[in-house]
Amino acid sequence: MTKGDIDPPPFFKSWTSMYWLVLGVLAGFILLFYLITRAYT
Amino acid sequence: MSGLDWGVLIGTIAFIVLYGVWKTRKTQQMSAYLRADNTERWWMMGLSIMATQASAITFLSTPGQAFDDGMRFIQFYFGLPLAMVVLSITAIPIYYRLKVFTAYEYLESRFDLKTRSLAALLFLLQRGLSTGITIYAPAIILTAILGWNLTATILFIGVVVTFYTVVGGTKAVSQTQRLQMAVMLGGMLAAAIVVVRLLPANVGFPEAMAVAGTSGKLNLVDLSFDPNDRYNLWSGLIGGFFLALSYFGTDQSQVGRYLGGETIAQSRLGLLMNGLVKVPMQFLILLVGVLVFVFYQFYAPPLYFNQQQASNVLASEAAPAWRDLEISSQQIFQEKKAATLALVEAYQTENKPGEEQAAHRMQQAEAKRKEIRQEAQLLVKTYNQGTDLKDTDYVFLTFVTQQLPRGLVGLLLAVVLCAAMGSTASAFNSLASTTVVDVYKRSLRPNASDGHYVRASRWFTVGWGAVSIFFALFASQLENLIQAVNILGSLFYGTILGIFIAAFYFKRLRGNAVFWAAVLTQIIIFLLYQYTSIAYLWYNLIGTILVVSLGFLLQPLLRKPA
Repeated sequence: MTKGDIDPPPFFKSWTSMYWLVLGVLAGFILLFYLITRAYT
Repeated sequence: MSGLDWGVLIGTIAFIVLYGVWKTRKTQQMSAYLRADNTERWWMMGLSIMATQASAITFLSTPGQAFDDGMRFIQFYFGLPLAMVVLSITAIPIYYRLKVFTAYEYLESRFDLKTRSLAALLFLLQRGLSTGITIYAPAIILTAILGWNLTATILFIGVVVTFYTVVGGTKAVSQTQRLQMAVMLGGMLAAAIVVVRLLPANVGFPEAMAVAGTSGKLNLVDLSFDPNDRYNLWSGLIGGFFLALSYFGTDQSQVGRYLGGETIAQSRLGLLMNGLVKVPMQFLILLVGVLVFVFYQFYAPPLYFNQQQASNVLASEAAPAWRDLEISSQQIFQEKKAATLALVEAYQTENKPGEEQAAHRMQQAEAKRKEIRQEAQLLVKTYNQGTDLKDTDYVFLTFVTQQLPRGLVGLLLAVVLCAAMGSTASAFNSLASTTVVDVYKRSLRPNASDGHYVRASRWFTVGWGAVSIFFALFASQLENLIQAVNILGSLFYGTILGIFIAAFYFKRLRGNAVFWAAVLTQIIIFLLYQYTSIAYLWYNLIGTILVVSLGFLLQPLLRKPA
């Protein structure tokens, strides 16, 4: 175990929150791209 | 090319190379040379990871792909953020705990030497071959469009990258990549803004999107499930996830980037930054391609973008037929332009029937244009024996050199060369570190001094540089350059990832079973590629599942009797 294991990520209390941010941003992009596809097809 | 463009190009490249060499000139320890002494901050690693993946092909081929096929290629990257999360949770803590220099070192502590060596060998084979393409691809396009000498361009890229990678190792790669990434992002953003400004006065960004959408270029998400279709949501999420898991988790050119982090937290943040930024970055590059497509709806494009191949036809007895096709192409262009302008006007006045009518006219003109293109391709095929017939890789650079203002041309060419150099440097560095750590130090000279291994790493970097330059000089033209690299990767990544998945998650599996399962899997993947039409992204998933399931099947058969 290194010090890095204990350090939380910046702006978040836990790494789990950080992972959800990444997945949430991905979901947001997919939704946005889907809406663009629907709007212009 | 103007003097200003040459100045921007040479100044940018020279500054980056000299900065990298100067900052890392005192690197003498193995830990510093191969792992940057664990001093890297998360944003440096994030930029380095992105620059490693973004080769010159990304900036040449991707806009061309959007020009031809729309933006659906974006789906290829949907699995990447998922993979970044999984690797942050699983792979990074294991690599840090074992203090490894390469990903393959871990396989010996988990399985045995032969499994480690097999994985390292598959990596060296795949990366060694594809690095030749990453040098060759931009060189052939720069040569065709700018008239540069092909051999000189390949030698320039190969020798310069070998030079600074030999001097500073991983540190030099990272120091130069952050500057290269800044040039790449800045250049593409500038290109996107300038393309919109070059459109006719009454066509803004919303109108450009309406034209692109009507032409079927805004096909970002396809929900249909077809295993033979290269790009849809499912192949992107599932196949792309396994490809990214393998590439970022087991390919030393990427693992080497984040093993240099100060702490686990810094390495995780570097990977997650890539997960956050990669999709919008690829969106920007594809958008530039679509905007170039819209530009060519108002300004006549050449009949064929690869001017070198067109010149060969013009120099033959087919020249009159080619000129006739050029005249027909001009007439169709005028028809299509009138329909496109009608669409813009109907869009601005919110005249829906007018939009539909204009769209119908555009589609009719497009069908005629395609017929002319097919005839032109037939002539190109006849008078350019054995060469690539897709000219989409030439679209973006043709646009840059013919339409962009002075200075910006030099900057965009610097983008292409920076991308080529960044990804090639990571490849040389990882090939050398894998050769030294997993072959030379492990099996040939296990007890030499630290300084000896640094010297060996330098010589192996030179060696791999020479091998890659050799492949680049003798590479034949391939269908689509970025796809060629991805297909080559997918042929091996499934097997390598299967070995690592077995190591990480299936504690019951032993080395002997995994080794033979991996050998069988690699043979099956080659057979699938040769005899089926399964889209290449699925090889990553198939390979991974095969290694694990064959491992379980073989384990009882290979167990030694008590």
